[in-house]
Amino acid sequence: MPQENTDNNLMIRVKDVSMRFRMEEDRSGSLKETVTKFLSRRLTFRDFYALHDVSFDVYRGDVLGIVGRNGAGKSTILKIISGILKPTAGTVTRRGSIVPMLELGSGFDFDLSGRENIFLNGAILGYEKQFLYDRYQEILDFSELHAFIDMPLRNYSSGMVMRLAFSIATVVEPEILIVDEILAVGDENFQKKSYAKMTELMGGGTTVLFVSHDMNQIRRMCNRVIWLENGTVRMEGTTDEVCPKYLI
Amino acid sequence: MSKIPLKRVFKISLLVWTGIFVLFVVGAIRKLLPMKVFGIPLLAVLAAAFLLFLAAWILYFRHLMKCEEEGRSAFGLFLIGTVHRYRFLIEQLVSRDFKIKYKRSVLGIFWSFLNPLLMMLVQYVVFSHLLNIRGDVRHYAIYLLSGIVIWNGFNDCSTQAMRSITGNATLITKVYVPKYIYPVTKVCSAFINTLLSMIPLLLVTAVYGLFSDPHLFLNETVLLLPFGLFFLLIFNIGMGFLLSSLMVFFHDVEFLWGVFSTIWMYATPIIYSLSMFESRAGWLVTLMQFNPLYHYISFFRTVILDGASPAFAEYGICALCSALMFTLGFIVFKKTQDRFVLYL
Repeated sequence: MPQENTDNNLMIRVKDVSMRFRMEEDRSGSLKETVTKFLSRRLTFRDFYALHDVSFDVYRGDVLGIVGRNGAGKSTILKIISGILKPTAGTVTRRGSIVPMLELGSGFDFDLSGRENIFLNGAILGYEKQFLYDRYQEILDFSELHAFIDMPLRNYSSGMVMRLAFSIATVVEPEILIVDEILAVGDENFQKKSYAKMTELMGGGTTVLFVSHDMNQIRRMCNRVIWLENGTVRMEGTTDEVCPKYLI
Repeated sequence: MSKIPLKRVFKISLLVWTGIFVLFVVGAIRKLLPMKVFGIPLLAVLAAAFLLFLAAWILYFRHLMKCEEEGRSAFGLFLIGTVHRYRFLIEQLVSRDFKIKYKRSVLGIFWSFLNPLLMMLVQYVVFSHLLNIRGDVRHYAIYLLSGIVIWNGFNDCSTQAMRSITGNATLITKVYVPKYIYPVTKVCSAFINTLLSMIPLLLVTAVYGLFSDPHLFLNETVLLLPFGLFFLLIFNIGMGFLLSSLMVFFHDVEFLWGVFSTIWMYATPIIYSLSMFESRAGWLVTLMQFNPLYHYISFFRTVILDGASPAFAEYGICALCSALMFTLGFIVFKKTQDRFVLYL
């Protein structure tokens, strides 16, 4: 449950964040092209602001939904908060451990076995060694891949890979969880299970940042919503305030 | 995030420093014993300096512990903290690279031993018997093998590290991990191979030594090899930083490096010896002083072939090359790393 919005409970503060991408007009990838262009002064840029002066605070226990059309800057703000992108201007202050679920299974090595990948992927997500050893069985049980865990990942079906990835990513109880539209993977049975797991994670007092186009999900899970449009905050407020406006 | 076990780090660091000191003193004992500084035996001076250093180290750690208690930040704390925090990831990435390398080969890890030996054999036949380049080099096979092992160590590390950022593009754009981890782990995993290929080098030297004339024996100076290896490792990491960050912006670097490293290889006395040029082209000998690889390889050859410690100035030169390369690479990497994600 969201608590009082005091500085003590502040988890993320996004302050005046702008993200500018310089798009080189027909971008050059080679040394020769860049040098010749630079010499002939034809290296021109077109600036594109993916985010412009975005500010908001997230408090402990908030489940913040981020809505907006394609290209509104939703994924960019998630990447900035996770530390992957560095904003051109402005600051992001974070407290607590973050687990970004931007893409499941990034960092899997397909030549390694499922078991080895649990540890590799876990390490990439920032889990402790001891934690992974303790929870290994839990991950395995959730993924239901007991028979295949010592096989190299390249022999897995894509559904099996996703199941493994999901099981690793959701075993933690991070203080901040960042989710970019991934709630259910695998077959119908596993989808139900993973959906339940996500709901459990998001309802368990974790601070969640959640991007989705499914307004029903947003309504059900979030207590606050931010509406981004063309890189700026169009509206911010409780779910009941923002959702009706966004739909129109 | 678990707490930094500062006490344990402290204990380990004391052990490491003592180990380094003992290795050096025992390894270079024959050179150290007769030397004197202002009439005092050098050994005593070194021991005193080491004790002073230890005292300073203990004081510094006390300061760090105090900082930690009071919650103040200190550079040392930050450094230990990051290594501690990401040690599991580093361990995982290094073991991944290492496992992947020989995963599907029958002989597996033995290739680390076999590869330099086979290379040496081929080059030995070509350069010693067919082309007769060996000149007046004694123990040419060992001479060749030590050059090959060190050169391969450098070439492997730098080539692997060069692709470390571009190769992990999907990861870098999806999860935050300090980016320097990628080149460093690549260099480390490639360097394990170099360490492994030291084994056949020493074995061959030991066996060959029995049958050669004059006899060639490994002696206590072998203990100095870790110093050369450490210098080489730091140099490789610096090179890895530089190449991997350049590679992000210009993929041409990969091809340029292929050409450049070949030139560099021939510019390094691996198959030939500098003594051949002393009378004909003295300038080449002077120029060679600016080739860091020459110094590293000489270091190893002095230890293995002459059974003597390199001149103390040589330690300084090797350390300086490593430090310069590392600093250059680190600065370039640090300045550009925030823009990596935009170009991947």
